[in-house]
Parts: sequence; C-alpha cells; structure tokens
Amino acid sequence: MTASLDILRGAWRNPRGRTGALILLIVALAALVGPVLLPDPLAQPDVLGAGRPPGLGHPFGTDQLSRDVLSRVVTGGRISLAVALLAVTLSVTLGATVGVVSGYWGGVIDAALMRLVDGALAIPRLFILLLVLAVWERVPVLALILLIGATGWFATSRLVRGEVLRLREEGYVRAAEALGARRRRIIFRHLLPNALGPLLVAATLGVGDVILLEAGLSFLGLGIQPPTPSWGGMILDSREVMISAPWTGIFPGLAIVITVLSANLFGDALRDAVDPRSA
Amino acid sequence: MTFAVALGLLFFLMRAAPGDPLFRLSADRPISPQEIKVLRARYGLDRPVGEQLGAFVGGLLRGDLGVSIEHGRPVTALLAERLPATMLLGGSVLLLNFTLGLWLGVRQAVRHGRREDRWLTTASLTGYAMPSFWLGLVLAWLVGVEWRLLPAAGMQDPLMDADAGWLARVGDILRHLILPTATMSIVSIAATMRYQRAAMLEVLRLPYIVTARSKGLSERLVTWRHGWRNALFPVITLFGLWLPILVSGSVFVEAVFAWPGLGSLAANAVGSRDYPLLMGASLLVAALVVVAGFLTDVAYALLDPRVRLG
Amino acid sequence: MTPWTPRIAIAAVLACAVVTTVGAQANRGRGTSIVIVTGGQATLPIPTLMEGAEASVGNLDVADQLFLRLADLGPKLLTAGDSHFVPALARSWTRRDSVTLAFDLDSRARWHDGTPVTARDVVFTITRAKNPTVAPRLSELLRQIASVTAEGPGRVVFRFVQPYAEQLYDATFHVAPLPSHLLDSISPTEMRRSAYVTRPIGSGAYRWVRNVPGQFVELAAVQSFFLGTPKIGRVILRTAADASARLNLLLSGQADAMDIIPPPPENLRRVAADSTLRLISVPSSTVGYLLFNQRDPKNRARPHPVLADIRVRRAITLGLDRRQLVQAVFGTQAVVPYGPVSQMLWIRHGAPEPEAPNVSEARRLLAATGWGDSDGDGTLDREGRPLRLLLSLPNTSGVRRQMALLVQEQLRRIGIQIEIQQLEFPIWQERRTAGDFDVDFSSVSQDASPSGLTQSWACTGGNNVAGYCDRTVDSLMTEAIVGRGDPAETWIDAVRQIEEGAPAAFIYAPTFAYAVNRRYRAVTISPQSSWITLRKWSVSQDQESHRGK
Repeated sequence: MTASLDILRGAWRNPRGRTGALILLIVALAALVGPVLLPDPLAQPDVLGAGRPPGLGHPFGTDQLSRDVLSRVVTGGRISLAVALLAVTLSVTLGATVGVVSGYWGGVIDAALMRLVDGALAIPRLFILLLVLAVWERVPVLALILLIGATGWFATSRLVRGEVLRLREEGYVRAAEALGARRRRIIFRHLLPNALGPLLVAATLGVGDVILLEAGLSFLGLGIQPPTPSWGGMILDSREVMISAPWTGIFPGLAIVITVLSANLFGDALRDAVDPRSA
Repeated sequence: MTFAVALGLLFFLMRAAPGDPLFRLSADRPISPQEIKVLRARYGLDRPVGEQLGAFVGGLLRGDLGVSIEHGRPVTALLAERLPATMLLGGSVLLLNFTLGLWLGVRQAVRHGRREDRWLTTASLTGYAMPSFWLGLVLAWLVGVEWRLLPAAGMQDPLMDADAGWLARVGDILRHLILPTATMSIVSIAATMRYQRAAMLEVLRLPYIVTARSKGLSERLVTWRHGWRNALFPVITLFGLWLPILVSGSVFVEAVFAWPGLGSLAANAVGSRDYPLLMGASLLVAALVVVAGFLTDVAYALLDPRVRLG
Repeated sequence: MTPWTPRIAIAAVLACAVVTTVGAQANRGRGTSIVIVTGGQATLPIPTLMEGAEASVGNLDVADQLFLRLADLGPKLLTAGDSHFVPALARSWTRRDSVTLAFDLDSRARWHDGTPVTARDVVFTITRAKNPTVAPRLSELLRQIASVTAEGPGRVVFRFVQPYAEQLYDATFHVAPLPSHLLDSISPTEMRRSAYVTRPIGSGAYRWVRNVPGQFVELAAVQSFFLGTPKIGRVILRTAADASARLNLLLSGQADAMDIIPPPPENLRRVAADSTLRLISVPSSTVGYLLFNQRDPKNRARPHPVLADIRVRRAITLGLDRRQLVQAVFGTQAVVPYGPVSQMLWIRHGAPEPEAPNVSEARRLLAATGWGDSDGDGTLDREGRPLRLLLSLPNTSGVRRQMALLVQEQLRRIGIQIEIQQLEFPIWQERRTAGDFDVDFSSVSQDASPSGLTQSWACTGGNNVAGYCDRTVDSLMTEAIVGRGDPAETWIDAVRQIEEGAPAAFIYAPTFAYAVNRRYRAVTISPQSSWITLRKWSVSQDQESHRGK
C-alpha cells in the first residue's frame, strides 16, 4: 500500500502530473455534480429558436434541436467517464488476474495464455470492436463497457506477468514460500501490491485511450446511442452544421482533448514515479 | 494462401450481408420488375453465388476485375485513377511521421529532462489527445472557410489554366494537401514522438553508448551513428501497424476534404453494395498491407545485419 | 544537434510556403466561368446508357448540358397536353390525330462536330431506347410509343399505342437524341466501352472538355449554338460526396453555385449572411411521410394489430403538429403537403390545405378504439399491451433523424410510445420492401409526371409496401392518365381520396435552397433539372477582366 502512496506522491510532485490530476478532478466533479445543476440535456424547449451561439443562459450555445450544449457536454462527460472507468477497471482486473495466474503457475497454463495474448495483440482493437458492433445494432451501454473492457487487457496481462516473474525470485517471496505460506496469501500480500504501480499507470493511460475509443465509436454511430448524449455522438451531430453552428462540435471535442490530455499527463507522471529511468 | 481464403470469405460475406445493389437503386426512383430483371442479369446477380465467385476469380486471373455497378466503368480503371491521390496523402503522412516524428522524438531523448523535452512532451500529449475526426472538421471550418488561408476541400483548382506550368500545378496540389495531411499526421506524429523518445532513451542507456560517450565522442556522433539505428526498430513496427489505421482514417479525411482517393470510393461502394468495386478495393488494400509487411521486413534486415531475410 | 538543424527546418518551411503561394497565384483564368459543386459525379452522361445506377442526378445534369431534347418542359412543368412545352431541337410540332404527333426539326441544329441534326438521329435513338435489354428503364417509360419514322431529314413522326394526355411528354422528355452518324456502327453492348463514351458528342449548348476522376467535369460553351451562344464560357461541375464539404467549398469561395443547401436552417442563415451569394428557392420533387404499415410485419397475410384501424392512423396524423415539425427542421424551406404531392408536381395547384392538428380529436379517436391509460404511466395500453410503435429510418438522412426525435416527443404527449430505429441504408431498404416495419419514415423523389404516384399508391404499385389498397384511388388515377377529360381535376380527386384513407402522415414537401454567386445574372433554376437553363445566364461585366474564354 505504501508503495502505491509513494508513487502517487511522486506523480503529484511532478508539475505536469499535478496539472493533469487537478484537471481530471475538476472534470470528474463536473460530471458528478453538473447534471444536477444544469438543465435537462434531452429537453427541446424552444425548437423554433434552435441553434443559438454561446450567450447568456447558454454558455456553450444550443444545438439544432435547441438542446443546451453545456449540459450535453457535462452529461456526455458523465457517461464517457463512467464507460472509461468501468471498462478500464474490467481490463485491469482481467489483465492482472491472467498475468498473475500465468506468471505464478507457469507451465502449460502460462504458455497457452500467452499464445492467446499474442494472437489477440496482433489484431487491432478497433477492428474487433467495429466488427462486433457493426453486426450488433443498438448495443446497450453495459454491453459496450464489457466489450471495450474485454478487448483491453492483453498488454496489461503481459506487464503483470513480467512483474510476477521478477518478484517471484525476490528474497521475501522465497522466504514466504519456504515457510509454507498459502498461495493466496503470497499473491495478495506480496505480489499484487508491488505490481500495483504499473497497473495504476496502465489504468490511467487506459482511461484516456478508452475515452478516445468510445468517442470514435459513437462518432461512427456504433457506440452510445441517441438521444443519450456522448461526446463522439455530439461531434457526429455537429457535422452537418459545423459551418453555421461550430460551437456544437468544438466544445465536445475540447472536452475530449482536455480530459484525455490530463489523464495522459497524470499517467505519464505516474510512470515516471514508478520507473524513474523513463523520466 | 490465407490471402485467397480471406478474399473468398469477403466475397460471401458481402453477398450475405443484407441489401444488394438493386435495393439501393430502388430507393432513389421506382424501378419496374422488368428493369430489375435485366439489371440483375447484367450485374450477374441472378446466378448462384458459387458461379459468381468462379466468374470473379476467372476474371481476376485475366487481370479483369469486372465493371463497377455504381460507375459503369471497369474497376481496374477506377482504382488506378484514385490510387495516386490516396498514396499521395498516405505518403505525405508517413513522410512527416518519419522525419518530423523521428527527429523530435530523438531530440527529446537527447535533451531529456530539460525544458525542450518537457514542452515537446506536453505538445505531443496534446496532439495525441485530439480525436482526428474532430480535428479534421475544425481545421476545414477554421482554416478553410473562416480564415480562407488554405483550400477547404478538393485536390486541385479546376480553374487553373490548361497551360499552367508544372510548378504551379505542384504548388496547387500542395496547398490542397496541407489540411488533410495535418489532420491525419498530428495524432500519428505525437504517437511516433512518444515511442521514439522512449526507445531512444533505452538505447542511450546501453553500455556501449555510455562507453562511447565517456570516451569523449561528440554527442552528435554518438546519437546519429550508434543510437538511432537501434531505436528505429519499434518505429518500424509501428509503421506496419499504422498502415491499416491510415487506410481506415483516410476514409473519413477523404470525405471531409473531398479528397479523390480510394477511401471515399470504397466508402460509397459499401453504401451502394457495389460488389465488383468492393472486391477490387479490398484486394488492393490487402495487397498493399502485404507489401507494407514485406517492406518492414526489408527495413529490419537493412538496419540489422544480424537479421537475415527469410 | 547543431545550430544548423533549426535553420534547415525553417528554410524547408519557407520553401514550402513559397511553392504553395506560387501555386495559388499563378494562372487563374477566371474569365466567364462558373464552378458548380454537386454531390454526384458524372461518369456516364449519355442518353440510353443511363440505366440502373447510372441514372443518377450527376449524370442526368451533365447529359442535359451536352444533349438537347426535342422540346423542353415549360416553366410550370406541365406534362399533360401539347401546348406547354418549349421548342428545342424541334422548332414546332403538329398533331395529326389522337395517336400521331409530327415534329419539325430546327434546320440550324448541329452536333458538336458540325454535322446537322436529322430525323434519322431521333429514330435511331428511340429505337435503341425501346430495346429492353439495352435500356430497361427507358423502354418501360417509352412503352406507349408504337413507332417512330422519319419523313425526310427534318421531320419525325411518332405514333402512340392509344390516346392519352402525356404523349408529347413521352416523346420528348425521357431521352434526348444521339448522333446516329457516329453511333450506328457501334452495337449497344460495345457502346459502353467505346471511345465515344470518353468524349461524348452532343447537340447541346455545352460540349465536353474533360473529366478529372473524382474531382470535376469541365464543359465549354458551343460558340455557334443555334439558340444563342451561352454567355458563360466554361462550366465546371465539381464533385464532393459529403454535404458539409460542399458547403465548405461554397462558403470558402472555391465554388460559385451549389444545389440544395443541406438543412438544418442554421446552414441557410449562414449562406444568407454571405453577401456574395444569392439564395434561390427551388421547389423540390421530394415528399417525406410517415408510412403506416397496414399489415402485420411478422405475417403479411394478417392485418397490423394496431395500424390496420383507420382511426388510429388518423389519430396519429391529427396528433402531430406537422407545421411545427417542418418549421423546426426546415425553417421556411418546406411546407406540409396535402397528400403525397411534392412542390414540384403541377397538380398541387388547386389542392386543398392540409388539416390542422387536433390533439383532442386524436385522443378521442384513440379512446374510441379501446386505447386507454390503465396504469397511469403516460402510455396508452389495451389488453395489457402498451401502444408502442417502431419508427424505422435510414441513418443517411439527417433531416429524418432530427424529425424522428421531434415526432417521438409529440406522440409521447398523446400517449403513443415511439421507438426510433435507425438502420444502415440497405438494411432499411430491405426491411421496408419486406414489409418489416410499423411506421416507416419514407422519402420519395417524384417525376415531373404525376403518373409516378401509381408506384406508391396503387394497389399493385411496386413501391406500395404497406398494404394500402383503395380501388377508388386506382380507378381515379387510371382515369387521370388515359382518360380524355382534364386530368388536373381527376388527380386532385385521387389525392383527396388518398388523404382521407390516411395511409400515411404526410409531413414535408421541401423547397430546396440553391446558392448562386451574385455576379451571375438572369439566373433561373428548373426544379426538374437544376442547371438546364445555364446557357441563358450571364456574368456581370466587371468580372470579365481576366482572360476570357
């Protein structure tokens, strides 16, 4: 546990990491609290006066169905962040499990699992998702999360496996084994906490990747379905009016850039704290 | 061998997917049953699928990819017309990647920890965070329409005189090339920079580099002579991976910027279920991927004398 | 890195900048030219070859410039009778009897290679066009023509199968004559791959210059065109498949004219705000409607459990504020049609006003059919089943997508739950044809001739996918097409009958907004073929300062 705290502290000391973390916190806060304070993102109050530029009452303007862009960006943020966090949690959990099993048990299991991972890594993640989503119409959000999570654990498992292999040779682990400690205890007490560093890095960077991925899928009409707002979906809707109502597309895009950037800044800082050589 | 199987699969998949070319037509205007019958015969849709496949393969061996349903012209001619534009766009992106991306990545590694490195890191992370589809739309609107600095779409100016010099023509195409290339390259250059930086840092720590440095060899010599070759490997792997992404990304960029390449041709063909054109385009892309893989292997061999071809 | 590297980089950037600006300035001969940006590309703009997918707007527009018809539609686009047409290749025509028309060709008419246009060309073309294996679409359209004969070089005689109102329309509109002296030695199947196709020779006001694939087609004015030399010397039809890309080209000055500014109304306001452009309203041939499936989607032999009842269908129509729908999505650029009549069809003059919404009547009708809200959840139900309908639409139409959301909201207020299903175009097409839908958001593009209505609204119509059948409508439409009386009245009666049967809620009949740069004068746009009057346009004087062409 202390190892992870050290890493977090290290990342915090890094000015870029600090900036990233702060912005992420602001975004998360806005996503949590915002939808309560702001008008309903699905409401179309004034259909005949739609498409207003940013101004009083609508800081980000309204879109062509007179929905408030700010509320949609914030609500979309809530959904995008939720999808990202849940999917990444799934990926990291799967990756850690497979990595530990593979690294600790070794042998045939290890060989089989790593063959699977190698094969999966060869296929671009986007292609798999496109293939599945093109056939499956109107995928519910939960299924989307599961799909994204299920396709993102391969590299993490490799990482964790490497850590486990390394740690297995450490003195204190050997000692614990010699003393007859149960496997579960060794895994949860000694191996996982030390692998937590790289896992944290993978998770943070993963959040950024998933946000971009989900936005891309929603832009293609395959991700979050309307009328639920999503950043990618808002950019898709803005395509027809980019020239006359650019605010409908610029703000969701900026939201993506800011969120992914801060996730990456923080993730980079975490990585530097975990492995100072890569700073 | 896998090539052939994949193509066969694609052939069947296309016909299995709902909708066929004639359905699309009947949406635009009413089509009489008589017209449908004649058109089905003309496009070969009324024959059993196996026979259609046979006809296609037979044609393929003769170098004839059939006639496009949507355009009414031979598929080979259509592909040949549109390929240069896509190559130009893809080539420019790759060129920028391998020059700017590499150079900046190496520069970051050499100057690592210093101000330049930190700025470039932030810049590359910002670039990496941009969704390319959003970037394309914003660039087209802002730079093309609002500011009128560069053309908002197209590849050439149609009003250019027939007797304009080649320099003017090249300049014209370059002007049109800037925005679509920028859209596709900002993200990929950012990624290349990150990878190259990391790879280069690894290399710079290698014992023989440290030794070379301590022997007093100039930094420049060390970096360029010894370091970068080794650091090139991961980037070359990236190249192999980037090709499919370039191809799929170009579909969007070609639509937004009305760039007359294969991407827009193929995208329209999917919508109208233009089977011959789709097969031809897929073949071409598959062939390109194979060639790219081959080139990657060659590059490895050239860089590392220890790796033998095949 | 030495200090040289940044300098090299800066030098490279400057070099690029120089090259690109040189490219921008050099050799821009604007002269008297026009760049029109369109969505479709002209790959085969040749009469009798525009079959199947090649009968596209792109091809038809260019073909209308290259090839002149015997006679053109008048400004009101009337297709019935002999008198509302404008002479083109034919200087005049006479009716010999109820099934015979004789056309006298204008002796000044020439092909682009200088050869005179003769009656033989007309006979050759019609013969080819009536061949069902060569031109299945055209042969169907020309089926009422029994024979075409030449009486000397300057007169063509058409004989028809029976007397009917649109004989002149059928003889002149569907296909323009081809040069027989160049083509009669080439068989119809060879024609597609012949050299003629790459450099077509026609009789129109503009001749073919070149086609840059995927980008644009260039045409040049025929200097000695017998109906007046066009004042615009150079016509460029520029292609961009994406609607936003087209708009960008227009607003950045790279194009002078554009067809169909895409909705929503924000785009129109933006174009209107540009002082160099003039907006022109052109009636569109499109009509959009919510088609109610009267048969059970799972079993076409059985009636639809909800929509087979005419009261439910009328309730939906009355429950929709169609004017608000149209205004929200189109602004002022569309009207609510009466029946399935687009703004382009000439029969709309004299049609009554569409019904105003009546929500209380809608509620009453629904209650009368047994739908009540027993569980208080806002949605009506009957025998434990909620009133839920699936609205299918293709994902290619931004307009319908937007409207579907508004329709969903409006119908929710009277207790009908609409679930929107956006489908990929071919899938939507397939489901529609198979009758697998509850409510289909259809959009139809109509011919100039009202006889096209039979496709969707006759019992055996090819596009009648919802099981609508009204024998009265069928007999009225037949009467209007082949009867001797004034077809206008009969058509209105047929349309009124359709409205009363409530097979669909007719929502929008748009007007297209075209944009043309203000420096072009005498600009008219024909709803049936956008640029057909180009040869009559002119360019204002101060723009002719560059090299003229």
